[in-house]
Order: sequence, then structure tokens, then C-alpha cells
Amino acid sequence: MADPEIKSYEPMHDNPSAAVTESRSARTVLMTVAFVFLGIFLLLPLIIVFKEAFAKGVGAYFASLNDHDTLSAIHLTLLVAVIAVPLNVVFGIAAAWAIAKFEFKGKAFLTTLIDLPFSVSPVISGLVYVLLFGAQAMLGPWLKSHGIEILFAVPGIVLATVFVTFPFVARELIPLMQEQGTGDEEAALSLGANGWQVFRYVTLPNIKWGLLYGVLLCNARAMGEFGAVSVVSGHIRGMTNTMPLHVEILYNEYNAVGAFAVASLLAGLALVTLILKTVLEMRYGAELAATRGH
Amino acid sequence: MEVRVANVRKEFDRFPALRDVSLDIRSGELIALLGPSGSGKTTLLRLIAGLERPTTGKIFFGDEDASSKTIQERNVGFVFQHYALFRHMTVADNIGFGLKVRHGATRPSNEEIRRRASELLDLVQLSGLEKRYPAQLSGGQRQRVALARAMAIEPKVLLLDEPFGALDAQVRRELRRWLRDIHDTTGHTTVFVTHDQEEALELADRVVVMSQGQIEQIGSADEVYDTPNSPFVFGFIGESSSLPVRITDGQVWIADRPIGLSAPNHPAGDALLYFRPHDIELLDGCSGCIAGTVAASRRVAGTRRVELEIGGERQRVEIELPVDHIATQKSRIAFRPSRWKLFPVKSTGN
Amino acid sequence: MKRLLLAGVALAGLVLAAVPASAAEKLLNASYDVGRELFAQVNKAFIEKHPGITIDQSHAGTSKLARSIVEGLGADVVTFNQVPDVDFLVKQGFVSADWQKDFANNASPFYSLPSFLVRAGNPKNIKDWDDLAREGVQVIFPNPKTSGNARYTYLAATAYAKEKFKGDEAQVKEFVSKIFANVPVFDTGGRAATTTFAERGIGDVLITFESETQGIAREYGTDKYQQVVPSVSLLAEFPVAIVDKVADEHGTRELAKTYLDFLYTPEGQKIEGENGLRVRDEKIAAEFKDKFPEVRLVTVEDAFGGWEKVQKDHFAEDALLDEIYGNR
Repeated sequence: MADPEIKSYEPMHDNPSAAVTESRSARTVLMTVAFVFLGIFLLLPLIIVFKEAFAKGVGAYFASLNDHDTLSAIHLTLLVAVIAVPLNVVFGIAAAWAIAKFEFKGKAFLTTLIDLPFSVSPVISGLVYVLLFGAQAMLGPWLKSHGIEILFAVPGIVLATVFVTFPFVARELIPLMQEQGTGDEEAALSLGANGWQVFRYVTLPNIKWGLLYGVLLCNARAMGEFGAVSVVSGHIRGMTNTMPLHVEILYNEYNAVGAFAVASLLAGLALVTLILKTVLEMRYGAELAATRGH
Repeated sequence: MEVRVANVRKEFDRFPALRDVSLDIRSGELIALLGPSGSGKTTLLRLIAGLERPTTGKIFFGDEDASSKTIQERNVGFVFQHYALFRHMTVADNIGFGLKVRHGATRPSNEEIRRRASELLDLVQLSGLEKRYPAQLSGGQRQRVALARAMAIEPKVLLLDEPFGALDAQVRRELRRWLRDIHDTTGHTTVFVTHDQEEALELADRVVVMSQGQIEQIGSADEVYDTPNSPFVFGFIGESSSLPVRITDGQVWIADRPIGLSAPNHPAGDALLYFRPHDIELLDGCSGCIAGTVAASRRVAGTRRVELEIGGERQRVEIELPVDHIATQKSRIAFRPSRWKLFPVKSTGN
Repeated sequence: MKRLLLAGVALAGLVLAAVPASAAEKLLNASYDVGRELFAQVNKAFIEKHPGITIDQSHAGTSKLARSIVEGLGADVVTFNQVPDVDFLVKQGFVSADWQKDFANNASPFYSLPSFLVRAGNPKNIKDWDDLAREGVQVIFPNPKTSGNARYTYLAATAYAKEKFKGDEAQVKEFVSKIFANVPVFDTGGRAATTTFAERGIGDVLITFESETQGIAREYGTDKYQQVVPSVSLLAEFPVAIVDKVADEHGTRELAKTYLDFLYTPEGQKIEGENGLRVRDEKIAAEFKDKFPEVRLVTVEDAFGGWEKVQKDHFAEDALLDEIYGNR
């Protein structure tokens, strides 16, 4: 127990961040724990997905993707995302704007409502639409007599996806907009900008990073949603199976290569999302830093 | 541009923020709205700007009724308390924003916008900072950019909400002088809100003192300081002491003693006597004076401030004495206000 | 502006997608979830014979599918792997009560049975149900509370015991309880049990439908596993039915009947046999003789007096299964 032991505590007096600076060994332990944890729970499964997908070679991988039902599942998943994400961007901005910038009756209720999909199990979210549009439900007979298919068809899948992904954009924007307040918008108005110009030149740039993040999360969930979609899909192969549903089907059929090939696409999508976000942040890093500071 | 506020009332959720306020602002005038927080001064400024609509009453720009006009139509330059600079735009883009969003023929060319922005930066002494972002500026620099941005649209009226509120004392004083210079150069009709009386008195042509949603007094710095017309103004502007007194036969009494002040025109009854700590004369003996026991004494710059307890009720007043006065604890001091004012006590039921 | 436009397009897409395509000659077959490969082949063969016809497939757990049909999933025909799920549709008025008379063999064109899969070389020498109750044997099948597959296993074991102990209920219960005691993990479904057996390497024997043991061996390697068929097992029917209510609405009754009939034709039976299912057509069955060892099958009707009675005596709350499962 000689000098070095004591010395390691001394910098506390002159180093301003000394209070939160752990000893070297503690730091090593913390970092090891973090990396090992991430490695086991995140990286390893990801690697296994790709390993299984290519277990029977590149040819088998692409052959399994070139299956009609698989292509249809990919197509449907993209379609759902293309519809659901823009809708939720519009709804999300509108809701966030209303909550963050106006005072009105029922605001607390609206906030709770936005959180509903987060607090409700996705299966329940799907069942809600079954109860709403099902043949035994309120709207079912009317829809049927007008020849409109919602449940067990693409519209039902889109609706269920919109429902479960609704909070992502709004939740990302509300705190941001609340923190920013209405000052910038008022300033723009006082300078003669009309409503659209205020949105285009002031509000949108102020929220764009939050919005982008919300869109990425929303998109990832829209493509990956399983529970709610499973309930309303009807599982008609080649028609109403999204990629996650298709993965399950392939897996249950002992088609491991096919299942993991589709899963690898979903995982690849997640990676692309992540890389996109990182690239954007690097590219606009200077501006980002400038706009974050006050 | 003259601005006339006529009998304006503004309620938020039934709570009146302004009650029946009328105010004439002359063209080219620099006017301060002064009052404590909650007095309605910012609300009044926002009503003039068009950021709020009056519940009742009208606002005129010149002879024109502007009450129902939007903020865009009113063409006012507004400087926000925290500047509200667009953080994702450069300084030059901030200043040029008001010109860029114009439509059709009124929109200057990009070249012209850049030129105007650069001119205004000259005016606010920030040449060379065009490409900076607001986050890269000091507080004082941001304030100047905000002002330049507001002036870029050539407003009829310039409105500033606590323009120096977020700055430290040294910068405030510099900017105050600078704002006065800019005003004198450009001749804009300018209204600014402040809770700092020193700022209002030093800068404004006229000061509007507000309290609880009403205007207490309008006047020049001298007028509101020397002849305050209400206990509130007396208390809010400068320092003051007050004592409850009674008027009998045109004389001012404290308890059972006249204090040597005559108020022949004042109605008999209870009143409050207001005076400023330095407007007193010390007396030796006491026949017709105010006498009190020294409760506290402290040195303030070139003078000595003494707190006295007066009479059986131990009312505290503050007076200013020469530094060499000893004013030991518990010693008695007699004085009489040399400048003072009486306000009748309003009965509480009314 | 672009954003609004995009939203508009999205809404329009939603409306357009909501209008169904014109009702051409088209069927939707709601089928059990591991029947995809089988029906892909069946449909291909069927369409070759009836050009211009489209057969859509919906695959999921059959209880879920039955529920969905009641909620509006427009399936013209069902090809399930459990009779009670068709009975559910009968109760809801979607399928006529005497559906089992509409097609031959109780409306079950093919069938299977609970069978065994053991590790290569059969190191524990497992031959029949008796071996499952032996000490030191680990048995894998899913939880009968949640899995239809495991209910067949439970009933097959019980049926065997009933014969063996000549209906002595106490001994039957003891025998089945011993098998249950040998199960180290009860997974929730057949697929999870397979994972436990094949990927986690737990257990000496996996019990599931014979039609599946072949697929598992194919997926995980025939050199690692081998099939063992017990002497007696339970007939697992794969019932088919026209969903009358839907077919009448769609005007597809005729096509639906032609389609289900096709499953009984030699061509259809051959495809089924190739997919590990036992078939009734004698000529075709003879072709697959090597693949399907002799086994004596008892029916739910004969051994237990029908599905409704099974439900009441065994699977209802606090019935026999609860006692055995609880006694483990």
C-alpha cells in the first residue's frame, strides 16, 4: 500500500471532472462489461443471422430470396412502410405541433392517446382493428356491403402498422418542440413570413434531426412489426404476408436458409438505417453542433 | 408612425392581463414600458405587435385601425427577449430572412438582400460576422443581430421585449447607449419593455409605468421620478420611505404629534406620507419633526443609510445621512422630509 | 408541399388497395402452418389441370385461422390438421354440420400419427410407448395445454395405455404420468420442441406427427436422426371442408368441391405421400410402403368416444390432463 495507491486519489483536487472520473481499473471493468454485453446480446445474434442465411452457400441464399412468396413479402413490407411512414410523419408533426405550441382543452388526453400504442401490446393493437372492422364488428357488415376489404388485406396491415408506429415521430418531436417554444415562429411571423414559410424555413429546420430520427425509428418498426400485423394479416401467402411473418412461416417449415435470408434483409435494413444516420450526422456535424448549442 | 392604444383590455382565460389601457405613442419617440413582472407590459407590447389580439379596445397605426391586422400586415420590427435567432441560419441569412420571404415584386434580389444585410451589420457594428451561426456569437452580438434582423424589413415601429434582460451589467450599459444612438440615427418609433428602472429612465423619451394591468403614470424620466402620481410609482421608481399619518387642520400628524409639515389643501383624515431617503433635513431638537431610534446603519457608496424605528408601532423608514454622521445603535435621530407627498389611504372595503 | 403530395398519394393507395380485385376463378385455402410446401405442389398440379384458376393460400395455426374466417377472412375451403377447429366453424354457422360426410374418409384425404424421432443409432433403444415411461429416458414434446400437436401425443399414449391395462384408469394415469415425468421442458409449440431436441440437443426422443419427423430429419440431417414408429398410435386426421358461407358468397362452391376432390385423386394422393403424409388410395399407399412402416391406428371415436367427449374428459379445466400435468 505504497505511494501510487494514494496518488491516484490526488487529482481530485485540481481536475474539475475528478468527481466523476473513476480509477483506471473501474473504467476498464465498466467498458469490458459494456462491450461484452453488447457483443453477446447484439452483435452475436446479428452475426448468426447472416451465418445461417449463408449456411448453404451464396447460391442457396439468393435462390431462397428469389422465391415468389418471399419477393411478395418484401414488396408488401416496402409498400406498407411507404404508406405508413409518410402518414405518420404528417400526423406526427401535426400532433406534436398542436401539443407543443398550443394550449387547448383535452391536451393531456391527446398526449396520453399518442402514447397508447406504446403501452398497448401489439397483439391488442391488431385485435382492436379486428373488433372494429371484423365481420362480427360494428363496421364489418357495412364495409362488406360496399365491397371494401380492410381486414386480412393490405389496408388492414397498413392501418395496424400506422397504429403501432404512430408514437415514434410525435414522441420524438414533442419534447424538442416544447423545448424550442414558439419564439422562433413568432419571430418569423413578425418578419412577414406566412404560415407555410414559417414551417418550411423555421420549424422544419429546427426539428429536422428529431424528425429524421423519428422517421428512421418509425420505418424500422413499420418494417419489423410482427404482433399487430400477424393478427390482421390473414397470412395469405404471396398477398398479405409481410417479411417478419414470412420469416416465421419459413422457420416453422424448417426452411432455415430461407428464414434467415429474409431475416438478414431485415437486419441489413437496420444496418443501412444506422449507417445512414451516422453518415448524415457526420456530414452535417458542424451544423448540428452549431444548432444544438444556444 | 404614431401608435395609439385605445381602451384596450386583454384577458387570458378570463384572467385580465390588461384592463382598459390607453396610450398615445408619438412618431419617432423612444418609449419604455416599465413595471414589475405581471404588470402587463409585455402583453401590451405583444398587442401592439399583433402577436396577441385585444379582448376589447382598438389599436391604431397612424389613422388606421390596425386591431384586426395580422402581425405580417402591421410591419413591425420585434426583438424578442431571448432574441429568437434562427439557429440553423447564418447571421446574414437571419438578417435577410424578412426580405427573403416577401412575395413577387416586393422581394428584393438575392444580391440586394445580401447588400442590405451587410449594411445593417455595419450599422450594428458586426461587419465580418456574416457567415457565423448564432451559437458562435456572444450574448451582446446576438442582441445586435436580432435588432438588425428586425430593422431589415424597414418597420414602421420597432418593438423590443426586455432587450438587455439576458446580458451582464457591463454589456447592458454599452448596448443601452448604442441603442439610443441607433434610434437617433434611424428615427424609428420605438417601444421597449423593461423591468429595470435605470434602463427606462436613462434611455426613454417617456416612461410608461405599469402595475397590475394598468398604466400608473406616463411621463419623462424627471416627471415620474420627481412627481410620482401614485404610491406605486413612488415606491417602484427610485427609493422611498412611507409612514402612515393623519391630517388635521391642514397639518400632518404622526400619532399625537404634528411633525411640522403643513398640507393645507389635503382633506382631513388618514394618509400616507412618502419621501425619498435623501430628501430630508436633520434636526437637533424635536418640536415638529419625525424622531426615531436607529435600528440599522450601513455604508452605501458616498452616504450612510440608516433605518429608523418611528413611534410606538416601530414603523421603519430609511433616511440618508452624511458619511461622518455616527448614528450609533439605539441613538435617537430627528428629521423632517424636505420633499414629500401625501396620498390618501384608500379604505379597504373599496 | 412534397410531403402533402406524398400523403395524398398514400391515402389514395390505401383506398385503391381496399377495393378487391374482380372475383375471377379464384379460391382461398386456409391451411395449417406447416402445410405450405405440400399445397404449393398440390396447387401447381391442380392449376395445370384447370388453367386460369388461382389458388391463394393462408397458412397459420388452424385455431387462429378459424377465428379469422369468422372475422371475415374470405377462405373458400379449409384444410386443417385438427377436427375441433372445423367444428368451431360449424358452431359459428360457416360450415354445415355434416361436413364429414361431404368427402370420403371422414373428409380426411390424408392422415398422420404421433410418431418418434430418436438420435442416430437409437442409443436408448426406444421402440414403443413403454420405452417412454422408462426411467432415464428423456422425452420431448410440447405443452399439451398450448399445443394441438402435443394433445395428439397425450391421447396416443393414453390410448396405448388403455389397451395395455385393459382400461384400468389408475394404471393408465400412472403410465401417462411417468411419461410426463420424463419430459424435461414443455415448450409452447411443436416448432419450439423441435428446436429443443435438435438444436439444444436435449432429450432422447422427440414425439410429433410422422409427417414432420421426416421434414426434421431432412432439415437437420438424416445421418443424425432416425424415425421410430410405435406399434400403436392415434389416427390424426387432416380434415378438409368447404366454408359454405364464404363459398356461396363468392359463388365458388363448385370450384371448391373440385379442388378438395383433387386431394383424393391418385395424382393428389401421390403429392401428399411424397410430403410425408399417409394416404388411403391403396395403389398409391403401396408405392410408399417403405416410407411408412406398419402401424395399428386407433381413432378418437373408438378410443375416447369422439372429440367432444375428449374435450370434456381430458382437456377441460381440472380434467385428466390437468391432473397429470399438475402431478408431474
